[in-house]
Amino acid sequence: MKNRKVTRSLTPYLWLLPSILLMTVFILFPIFEVFRTSVSKVSKAGIIKGFAGLDNFSKVVGSATFGMVLKNTLVWTIVVVGLSTLIGFVLALLLNNKFPGRKAARAVVVFPWATSLIIQAGVWKFIIDGDFGTLNTLLMKLGIISAPMNWTPSPAAYFAWECWVGIFVTIPFVTFCVLAGLQSIDEAFYESATVDGAGFWQKLFHITLPLVRSSLTVSTVLNIIYVFNSFPIIWTITKGDPANRTDTLVTYLYKQAFYKGRTGEAAAISVIGFLILCVCASIYMVISLRKEEQDA
Amino acid sequence: MPSKKKTSSAKILRVLLYLAIIVMVLVTLYPYFVMFTSALKSRAEIYAKQGTLLPIEWQWSNYVEIWKLAPLGRYFVNSIVVAGGATVIAILCGIPAAYALSRMKFKGKKFFLGLVIVSQMFAPVVLLVGIYKIMSMFHLTDTLIALVFVNAAFNQAFAIWLLRGTFQSISNEMEQAATIDGCNQVQAMIRILIPVAAPGIVTALIFVFINAWNEYTVALTLISSDILKPLTVGITVFNGYNMIEWQYLFASSLFATIPVVILFICIEKHLVGGLTSGGVKG
Amino acid sequence: MNKKVMAMIAASAMAASFSMVGSAEDIEINVIAAEYGQNTADWWKTFQEDFNNDNPGIKLNAEVVSWNDIYTVVNTRIQGNNAPDVLNIDVFADYQADDLLLPAKDYVSEETYAKMYPSFLAQSEVDGEVWAVPDLASARAMYYNKDILEAAGVDVPTTWDELRAACEAIKEYDDTIYPWGIDMTTDEGQAAFAYYTWNNGGGFVDENGEWTLNSAANVEALEFAIGLVNDGLTNSDPANDTRYDLQDMFGTGQVAMVIAPNSLPTYIADGGHEVNFGVASIPCNNGESVSAGVMDRFMCFDNGYSDEKLEAIKTFFDYFYDDDRYSDWVLMEGFLPATEAGGEAVAAADESMAAWVDIVGSSKFYPTAKAEWADVKQGVIEAEQRALLGEDVQTVLDELQEDIAG
Repeated sequence: MKNRKVTRSLTPYLWLLPSILLMTVFILFPIFEVFRTSVSKVSKAGIIKGFAGLDNFSKVVGSATFGMVLKNTLVWTIVVVGLSTLIGFVLALLLNNKFPGRKAARAVVVFPWATSLIIQAGVWKFIIDGDFGTLNTLLMKLGIISAPMNWTPSPAAYFAWECWVGIFVTIPFVTFCVLAGLQSIDEAFYESATVDGAGFWQKLFHITLPLVRSSLTVSTVLNIIYVFNSFPIIWTITKGDPANRTDTLVTYLYKQAFYKGRTGEAAAISVIGFLILCVCASIYMVISLRKEEQDA
Repeated sequence: MPSKKKTSSAKILRVLLYLAIIVMVLVTLYPYFVMFTSALKSRAEIYAKQGTLLPIEWQWSNYVEIWKLAPLGRYFVNSIVVAGGATVIAILCGIPAAYALSRMKFKGKKFFLGLVIVSQMFAPVVLLVGIYKIMSMFHLTDTLIALVFVNAAFNQAFAIWLLRGTFQSISNEMEQAATIDGCNQVQAMIRILIPVAAPGIVTALIFVFINAWNEYTVALTLISSDILKPLTVGITVFNGYNMIEWQYLFASSLFATIPVVILFICIEKHLVGGLTSGGVKG
Repeated sequence: MNKKVMAMIAASAMAASFSMVGSAEDIEINVIAAEYGQNTADWWKTFQEDFNNDNPGIKLNAEVVSWNDIYTVVNTRIQGNNAPDVLNIDVFADYQADDLLLPAKDYVSEETYAKMYPSFLAQSEVDGEVWAVPDLASARAMYYNKDILEAAGVDVPTTWDELRAACEAIKEYDDTIYPWGIDMTTDEGQAAFAYYTWNNGGGFVDENGEWTLNSAANVEALEFAIGLVNDGLTNSDPANDTRYDLQDMFGTGQVAMVIAPNSLPTYIADGGHEVNFGVASIPCNNGESVSAGVMDRFMCFDNGYSDEKLEAIKTFFDYFYDDDRYSDWVLMEGFLPATEAGGEAVAAADESMAAWVDIVGSSKFYPTAKAEWADVKQGVIEAEQRALLGEDVQTVLDELQEDIAG
C-alpha cells in the first residue's frame, strides 16, 4: 500500500527523467562552465589561471562600449520579436483561410526558416549592397528609381536592415506556432459565434486569441531568448561594425572571446545577458502562468 | 439570405486577402530568386557595375561543379542522420515530459518549466567549450551521435512547451473514459491523446528538424573528419581565405533548403487534418 | 514503429562512433590547417595520402578549417584539453605566452630549419627562442586600372600628393568610379593602418619594439586616409567593404586603384574579370615606399610527446618542406615562399613572381610576436572606424595607446 503511494508520487518524475537527463548533461553542464569561467582569470589562449572574483564583470561594465551594445541588444530584441510576432500572427490568420493554393503558400512561408541563417543573412547583405546589390538592379529595371541608392548610409541604416532580416527569418516560426494553435480550434465555435452575431474583431479577441494564447506565449518567450542571443545575422552583415555601433551582446562577446582572447570577459557578458533574460522571462512567465491557472 | 452589400464587402476582403498573400509570397521568394540566379552567374557578373536581373550566360555548370568540389552527398547523409536522430530523440523525450506537465500534479512543476527555459538562455557560441569538454569525456568528439544529442537537448525546451500547450488545450475526458475502460496511462496517452494532438506534435517535429538541420557552430567545433561534416559546415569550403565563392555557396545552399521544404510539404496535411472533433476544451 | 526508429538510430549512432582509427601501433599526428583558398583542402588530402603511404607507422590526420572559423575551432579545442599537435595559422604569441608551444628546434630537423629565411624566423622569436616556422608569405602593392588612369589623364601616383591629385582627376573624369579603395573592416582593417603609417615613417612600434600607436606620423597618416574617404575619393563604405569586395570592384572597373596582395592577378582571372591593370609600389609620404608583408606559420603544441612522436613530427616537417613539394604548396594558391630553395623554384616557375620574392624580402611585417598584438589589431580597426564616423583621429589614437601601453 505504502509502496504504491511512493511509486505514484514518483511517477511524474519518471516521465520527466529522459528530458532532464538530456538537458543536464548537454546544456546545464556547459552553462556551469560559463559561470565558472566568468569568475576566473583566463589567459588569452583560454586557459583558466585561477579565481578572479568579479574582475571580469567590472571590466565589462566599466567599458564605454558596453552601454551602447546593451542598448542595441534591447532595441534589436524588442523590434524583431514585436514585429515578427505581429506579422506572423496576421499571416497565420490569413493562411488559416481556405483558398486555392493554400498549400503552396504555406510551403513558401517555410522557406526562410528552411535556409540556414548564415546564408539568409549573406543573401540579404548581397541584396542591399549599394555598389553591386540586386535591390538597386531590381528597382532600376522596374523603373522605380533611376540611379543606384545607398541603402546603408549610416550604422543605424545597417542596424535597421539587420532587424528586417531578423524579422524576416522569425516570421515563419511565429506563423507556425499560431497555425498549430488555430488548427485545434473547432470550426463550430466560429459558426455559433457568427450565428450569435459576433463580428470579426469580437471573434478575434474572444475566440481566437484566448485559444492560441498558449502557443503564442511559447513562441514569444522562446523568441525573446533566441533573438536576444542571435548571432549569425549581425555577424554576417556587419560583424558589429562600424566601431560596435551594430553590435549586440552576443557578437560583442564573440569578438572579445575569439578576436581579442578575453574569454573571461566574454563569459561575464553572457552571464549578464543571462540575468537580463531571466528577469524578462520570469516576469512574462509569472504573468502567463498565473492567467493560465485563473482560467483553468 | 445575405444582403448584396455583404457579399460585395466579402469580395473586397477576399481580394485583400489574396493581395496580402501574393505580396508575402513575392517578398519571401525574392532572396531565393537572387540565390538561384546568382548561382548561375560568374563572379565578374555578380559584381558588375551594371547589374543584371538574369544571368547573361547561364552557367549551369556551377550547379554541377559543387558536386565535384565537395562530397555533398556525404554531407547530406550526415545532415539527415543528425537532424532525423535529434528530432526522434527530442520528441520521444519531450512527449512524456509534456504529458506529465499537463496531466499530473507534482511538486517542482514550475521549477522544471523554469529550468527548461533557462536551458535556452545561453547562445550556443558561449556553450561550445563546455559541450566540447563533455563530449571528450564520453569520447564522442568527432562523431555524429554527439551532434544528435546536442541538437536534441537544444530543442527540448520548445518541444516541451509546445506539446504541453497542445496537450492542455485538449480535454482529458476521453482519456479518463479510456482509463475506466481498462487502459493504463501510457496506453491512454498513445491511443487517445497523441492522435488528437497531432498538429502540435507535427509542428514540434518540423521545428526540431529544421533547427538541427541548420545548426552550425557546434558541428563546426565537434567534427574534425571531413566525411562526418553536415551540410552547413561542409559548404563553408566555398568560403575560403582568398575569396567567397558566392555562386557555389548559393548553389549548395539551395540544395540544402530543398529537403526541408519537401519534408514540410509531406507533413503539412497532418498539421491541417489531425483534429478529431470534440476534443477541444472550451 | 518506435522500435524500428530506435534501432535505426542506434545503428547509425554506432556507425558514427567508429571514426577511422589506424592500427594501434601507429603514431598519430593531428594537424589543423587554415584554408587559404579553393585548392587547400584538396592539397592536404593528397599530402596526407602520400605522407601516410611513404611513412608506415605514422598516421597523419590533416583537418582544413575555413579562415572565418579557425580561431573558434582552435580555441575551443585548446580549452577542451585537446590541442592539435601541429597548427597552421597566422598568430602564435598567445599560445606561446601560455607555455603551450614547443620551441621550433625541438620539432624541426636542423636541415629543414636551415632552409628558412632567417628574417622570417625572426618574426616568431620571443625571449631569444623561435617558436614557430613560416609556411608562406604574401606581400602587398598598389594595383591600378590602366584604362581609367589613361582616360583621366593621370600618371601612376607615387606620393600621397600625387595620389590625391590622381583621385581628384579620376573623379572629375567619371564620378561613378571610386578612385581609391580602402578597407577598414574587422576583416583586415589593420592592413590599412599599416599601409598609411608605414609609408609616413610611423607604425605600430618604434625601433625598440615599444608601442607608438598615437605618434604624430600615425595621426597624420590616418587623417590623410580618412580625408580621402570624407572627400568622396574612395569606396563609399570602408567599414564594411572587405578587401575581397574591393578586389572584385577593381575587377569590374568600379574601383580604379587598390592595394592588394600578389595573388590579385589570380583572383581577377578566377573571377572571370577582364581588366587592364598594372602594379606599382604603395604611394608614400616620405620618399621610401614600404610594402606590407603577411606571414603565416606552423607551430607545435606541447602535448607531452614521446621521443618517437617527436621524431614523427620532424618527419612530417621534413616531408612538407621537401623542395618540390614545398614549391607546389606555395604555388597552389599563388603565395610567396618562406625558404630559399622555395624562392628559387618559384622565381624559376614564374618570372613575374621573382620581383615579388624580392619585395617580400624587404617588407615590413605586423609585430605579431608581441603579446598585445590581438588587442592592438582590434584596437586600430576600432580607431579607424570611429574616425570614419567623425571622431578626432588624435583622440581615438591617444585612447588606444593609453589602453594598450598605459
